[in-house]
Amino acid sequence: METLNDTLQAGLAAMTDAPLRAKLLRMLEAQGEFEVQLAACGSIDECQRLKGRFLGRTESLAAEAMTAMKAIPAEHKRSLGGEINRIKAAWEEALRARQISLETRQKSQASSSTAWDPDLPPPTPARGSLNPLVRLMDRLVEVFRPLGFHVEEGPEVETEEHNFDGLNIPEDHPARGSTDTFHFSKHPGLVLRTHTSPVQVRTLKRVAPHLEALGGIRFLAPGRVYRKDEIDPTHSPMFHQVEGLLVGHGIGMHHLKGTLGHAMKGLFGPGAEVRFRPSYFPFVEPGCEMDVRCPLCGGGGCRVCKGSGWVEILGAGLVHPNVLRHAGIDPDVWSGFAFGMGIERIAMMVSQTPDLRLFFENDQRFLRAMGGVD
Amino acid sequence: MRIERAALHAELPVLSDMETPALCELLAGLGFPVDAVEGFEGTTVLEVDVTPNRGDAMSHRGLARDLSAKLLADLSPVPFLPVTELHEGLRPIILESEACPCYASAILELGSRQETPTEVQAFLRAMGSSPKNLAAVDASNELLHRYGHPTHAFDEERLQGAIRVRKARKGESFLGLDGVTRTLSGDDLVIADDSGAIALAGVIGGEATKVTEGTRRVLLESAWFDPKGVRLAARRHGIFTDASHRFGRGADPAMARIARDLLLRRLEAWAGARVLGAWCVGKMPAEAPPIAFPKDLLQRIAGEPLRVAVASEWLQHLGCRVQGEPGVLHVTPPSWRHDLTSPEDLAEEVLRIRGYDKIPSALPPLEGSPLPLADGYRRARSLGLRMAHLGFHQTVTFGFVSPEEDAASSESPAEGRTLGNPLGIEFSVMRASLLGSLRKAAESNLKHGARQVRLFEIAPVYRTAPSGPLEIPSLGVVWGGQLGGEDPYTPTRPVGAADLRGIALDLGLRPEHCIFRVLGEDLFGLECPLDALPWGGAQVIPSYRPFSRFPAVHRDLSLLVAVDHPYRGLADAMAARVQELGAPLQDLRCVDVFRPKGPPPGKVAWLFRFSFQHPGETLTHGDVDRWMNAALDTARAQGAELRG
Ligand SMILES: [Zn+2]
Repeated sequence: METLNDTLQAGLAAMTDAPLRAKLLRMLEAQGEFEVQLAACGSIDECQRLKGRFLGRTESLAAEAMTAMKAIPAEHKRSLGGEINRIKAAWEEALRARQISLETRQKSQASSSTAWDPDLPPPTPARGSLNPLVRLMDRLVEVFRPLGFHVEEGPEVETEEHNFDGLNIPEDHPARGSTDTFHFSKHPGLVLRTHTSPVQVRTLKRVAPHLEALGGIRFLAPGRVYRKDEIDPTHSPMFHQVEGLLVGHGIGMHHLKGTLGHAMKGLFGPGAEVRFRPSYFPFVEPGCEMDVRCPLCGGGGCRVCKGSGWVEILGAGLVHPNVLRHAGIDPDVWSGFAFGMGIERIAMMVSQTPDLRLFFENDQRFLRAMGGVD
Repeated sequence: MRIERAALHAELPVLSDMETPALCELLAGLGFPVDAVEGFEGTTVLEVDVTPNRGDAMSHRGLARDLSAKLLADLSPVPFLPVTELHEGLRPIILESEACPCYASAILELGSRQETPTEVQAFLRAMGSSPKNLAAVDASNELLHRYGHPTHAFDEERLQGAIRVRKARKGESFLGLDGVTRTLSGDDLVIADDSGAIALAGVIGGEATKVTEGTRRVLLESAWFDPKGVRLAARRHGIFTDASHRFGRGADPAMARIARDLLLRRLEAWAGARVLGAWCVGKMPAEAPPIAFPKDLLQRIAGEPLRVAVASEWLQHLGCRVQGEPGVLHVTPPSWRHDLTSPEDLAEEVLRIRGYDKIPSALPPLEGSPLPLADGYRRARSLGLRMAHLGFHQTVTFGFVSPEEDAASSESPAEGRTLGNPLGIEFSVMRASLLGSLRKAAESNLKHGARQVRLFEIAPVYRTAPSGPLEIPSLGVVWGGQLGGEDPYTPTRPVGAADLRGIALDLGLRPEHCIFRVLGEDLFGLECPLDALPWGGAQVIPSYRPFSRFPAVHRDLSLLVAVDHPYRGLADAMAARVQELGAPLQDLRCVDVFRPKGPPPGKVAWLFRFSFQHPGETLTHGDVDRWMNAALDTARAQGAELRG
């Protein structure tokens, strides 16, 4: 028998409907009974039956009490109604805890039994995964590391100077416009970087005074970039790039070819075959694009390579003298090469993922299958 | 750009024997990848990708020029009969801006019938445009695709007074051929007559003076406009035409007169036109000075001792004039190659025509010590691995969210983090928290039937700052759903807030440095800046700290306390007390909480476990008992009782 406090007593007393008052009283007085019965439950089935009696949707103590709630006078609704709800929540919580402890005990008894079949599935630790895009970027860092490349980073919110000016991108270039590049309403000079190339500008400016002492510089800049593209199977307003830059003495196209050829073998295996085609980017001269032998068909021609046997994998070239000049580096003394690759594009190609959007849906089934912990 | 094979052969006959795949390969090797090959009304049309620096290659003739240099084969001559200039004053044309240095024109009277030849109509269709059967329009269009030089024809009878090529007056209005009336800027270059602007130079003609079926007299325009001015005007007014693409990337000034003649001859042939006058005003823009092209630079870029004479030959095949002196070439690019302005450009041309496949391959020698990987990168990488090993999946979500979502997870004002031109309102604020995006991903997983969801993301969040959004590299974690129940040994239970606190503890996070949030039913979030995570930095192995080799003693103490008694206060007081007595306390924690049977109401039982271990000796029971009694006294002082 519980002792009810004065507030609750007063609330009950104010109720005019006697049968309904009895229903509330029954629940208020049943707390001790519930605890005793719960403690006596020896199985999950018994718990379920107890739950039915005390908390079931119909004819249980709680269900009956709920029907009586409406008869509580307004001034006592808060105290009396609140108490009923509190008891209900407490019972639910206690039942849940009891069921867990019963299941635990049941399972631990079962598992210690000698007759237990060793082929039954054992408990396994949770297995997580690195994102496939992150894995691919990490792999690139690994591939370039032995060649002396380190990693540089830069912000995603960039100045137009770093994103465009320092890269020899003319003032009237369409990419600067609001149809291609995200701008900030309160900060006219800032954009979301449209490529990882501004890391070139930042890093070159930083190392320019020490370039001789450093013996040039070579690094990768992996990161997220933004372009104003609608989301579709091959476009996303946010994606990943890995930028590479090397500045040294007497750097030519042969060095670019040698380095990237080596890297592609690291990425696609020793048999990887590459080809270079002329192309154009304002921040390099000469410029090129690199294709690899289609990893899907091996060069015979397929849907992925549109029948050509080759797939484009990156843009590159020798660093434009204006880029070096902008950073305060003398292009008559120093030269270099740069390259940039779209990570999603390569990830889609190597994994034959049909739709770019899968990389941003974050479905655990996809992440588990495509990711890993290496 | 669409290229019809037959029209390409007409410019470079040697191509007619080439298979299409070989031609595509050849074009790709020159920097013009072919995106698609399609059969069209019995001919083959290639969709060729031309980079924006190569305005000169945006025609059949233009591509044929590069192919001819590569194949060392002759181009067909441009088939035209030069026009004898006459009657210059027929309608005065006055060039008032340097942005239009030369303007070739003619006035013709059209015959009573006009017909565009069927093969030209077919060609235009292959180019993706529809023949109008107006000789002046179709011929101009055909010339553009064939030779790359845009021309225009005005209805001469609708012109008033002299033609002036001048800057627009600010606020002047102009009705274009596209039916749109635009207000011009003072920077726009227009073709005007006494009535006002009749064309936006190099971009689009005007509605008022356009050629129609009723046109009896035409005035032809074949000029050259400054590329930058055309690009800016096209951008300013959002009009991108075949003409603006070509003038905007740099047309060939030498073609102005030739295109006028070609157009004029076509009108004679297709419309029985009679020439009333033909003349040019202005003069060709001055040729750029020769570019000094040093041998050293060529050989450095080429990666081999390429001979200057070889380079000179290739450049001449491309139309350059080359003068040599020891160690350096002086190269004057042809009038159509505005992109060639530096010796690096010339080196590219040599390598391009020779073939990038001929460039040797070598690894650059290391000139200095490699630098360490960026700290931020190493931290993110090791944290990512750690989280993956703890059973979480790494997500990638967009950095921008909706204003509502942002407001729900941050107090920082969104104003300074808001994009001026977002893709949509749902992608408009650079997020101040990762938890909103992670919650969405988690809910979607649960909705798709996942029993348990464990996600994390390592990405920047943004704080509003006076100079612009400040990036704070952060970790976000969500955990929700049901744990266990997937084997006969592990019971099922819902994920709880404590599970995530355990992760934070495991990562070495201090609670004051991270945010815990309830994100839904059985769904919890944790977020912290990467700075808050302990980081060993450069030291691979921490300094040695001695540990005890003497046995540890564990003692349990079961206490009944009021249900709302603060745990931390009780645990800390007991720990302080035993340490005061010199106890080598290694750990003190609550290992169980339960409601005993037949309890005094309002009480719970906490089972505390004390672990003692002395660095230099074995502990005696007497000492341990003394400490435990002291702990119990302390607990009693806080109102706890020993549970019997
Ligand atoms: Zn293929």
